[in-house]
Amino acid sequence: MRNNDIDDILGRAARAPEPVDPAVLARVTTSIGASLKAVRPLPSRWILAGVFIVLAAAAGIGTAVVLGTGGWDRLSVMEAVVIFSALAVLLCVVGAVCVSQIVPGSRWHAAPALPLVAGAIALSAIFAVLFRDYATPHFIASGYPCLRQGLEVALPTGLVLWLLLRRGFAVHPAGAGLAAGTLAGLAGLTMLEMHCAYFSAPHVVVWHVGVIPIAAAAGGAIGWAIGHFRR
Amino acid sequence: MSSPSAVRPDSDLQALMSRYQRGDFDAATALVHRLSPQLHRFFVVQATGRADADDLLQETWLRIHRVRHTYRPGEPVLPWLYAIARHIRVDHYRRTRRAAVREGRFEQALDVAVSVRPAPAQDLETLLSPLPPSQREVIEMLKVAGMTLEEVARATSSSVGSVKQKAHRAYEKLREWLREE
Repeated sequence: MRNNDIDDILGRAARAPEPVDPAVLARVTTSIGASLKAVRPLPSRWILAGVFIVLAAAAGIGTAVVLGTGGWDRLSVMEAVVIFSALAVLLCVVGAVCVSQIVPGSRWHAAPALPLVAGAIALSAIFAVLFRDYATPHFIASGYPCLRQGLEVALPTGLVLWLLLRRGFAVHPAGAGLAAGTLAGLAGLTMLEMHCAYFSAPHVVVWHVGVIPIAAAAGGAIGWAIGHFRR
Repeated sequence: MSSPSAVRPDSDLQALMSRYQRGDFDAATALVHRLSPQLHRFFVVQATGRADADDLLQETWLRIHRVRHTYRPGEPVLPWLYAIARHIRVDHYRRTRRAAVREGRFEQALDVAVSVRPAPAQDLETLLSPLPPSQREVIEMLKVAGMTLEEVARATSSSVGSVKQKAHRAYEKLREWLREE
């Protein structure tokens, strides 16, 4: 049996759909008519993605400027270009993924977990190559405050992102939460790279990059819970 | 696999959606009457039963109404619409599965679903019943709703390659089942 034969069989079987109960259609149109008013469509995907990206970048850079840019001042030009180019690329990718998560029927860019995993690995590799200091004195004592500060930036950024995301419709709430959490985590990491002047590779990889998966996991869990309780 | 021959005037749907977003009741009514039969069949084909399909259809339209601002004018309507319908169906499936597990009849329900045998002359839902839900929805969208691979990929939040693979596997399975008849 060839594909064309199967097409014919499917075509014959699908020819006459059962009519929908007119009472159902009447109920639907009545419900719609009762609350019908003009709505403003969402902005274009580029504008939405741009807003998400600018918001995350502004949160990270703005907080670093307030807290102090000791890290930025110590970075060489080459280090700064490599690190912040990578962060910019990741911000753009995750911003686009965020938009695809809240607009039904979007072209699928990537699974929300993909930029999270790929980004965390790529950034870890970059830091491990750029920062040749592998000493780990006071590993936890010096690292925990960085992690906390990064999450303190990620949390409000995530909340603002969530307010923006709510205007869309997350077909996959957990995926939308994960993407928003990743973006918020990137804001936290951006702040840390500008603020923290301690360039030990293990410190940066664990306590700075670690902000991203923690924020993403929190975002994913919140999205999952919202989707679960919305049902 | 040949591409669907039916010509879909999607530009008409786009125009109706834009008018619906502007608050035009006639456009909303036209959309409901035009798209409900295929949405209803989408739910029936997913083995939900007619009564459930009626409920899901209403739920889908109410959801569409609530999130109609998320449609971007000028973009294809069907992927947007089916993405929402699919979300409603998945929610429904999870709810019923939980209820079935609670009542201890989930395994029994599964046994019944697997034992169904299609026949070439039977209706679409029986014909597609041996397929897993993910392949069933792809075949329904491609061959019944007449959507393109790209549109199905958008509606199912997957890649075109994944849609092609599911369609290919579905055809293999259908070929095997139909040969047994």
